[in-house]
Amino acid sequence: SIPTSAGSESDAEQLQEEQHARSVLRETFLRCLLSISNKKVQFRMHEKVKVDATFGASDIDVLNFQVSDLHTPIGVQKEALIRCQDVISFTFDV
Amino acid sequence: MQCGWPLLGPLQWIRYVNKLVKVKAGKDEEHRGWLLTVDPVSASLVLVNFGEGEGASVQVVMGHAVEEVEVLQEANEEITDRLQASFLPPRNRTRLDP
Repeated sequence: SIPTSAGSESDAEQLQEEQHARSVLRETFLRCLLSISNKKVQFRMHEKVKVDATFGASDIDVLNFQVSDLHTPIGVQKEALIRCQDVISFTFDV
Repeated sequence: MQCGWPLLGPLQWIRYVNKLVKVKAGKDEEHRGWLLTVDPVSASLVLVNFGEGEGASVQVVMGHAVEEVEVLQEANEEITDRLQASFLPPRNRTRLDP
């Protein structure tokens, strides 16, 4: 595509550097996600709610997590999708 | 680092990689760990805490919930190697340049 403005060389250089950083960070994150599948995780949600589940997968834009055996206060949900917006953090062991 | 974490961008995030950080998230959560990576899509942080022996505990803090990130310590070579080896297949271990 044709750039909308004549970018200087240093802009192009910085863009390339940024893209490299982005790819390195993302690759490590994806490898980490891969290693979580089928592991027991504990989610910390708002209002100090903690729930345990077996991690399945995440969608590419990290909007939802698919989990199994979600231990909720009212029982165990065999399969579930968790909205990432509802999660503050989650923990697992490797 | 105050707020605005998801807006920093890859060149800023990568500076935190391989450092011991303290992350405040949500209303009352605080986590410490070695920063393995930041997902450039969701700005989520992956923190690793090494235990005794081989095992490690990993915390993923969602980018949208991050309130503050503070660097506590730089990693030495041993910790850097251990961090970078955590999830990589043995055949292509490459080091992140922070």
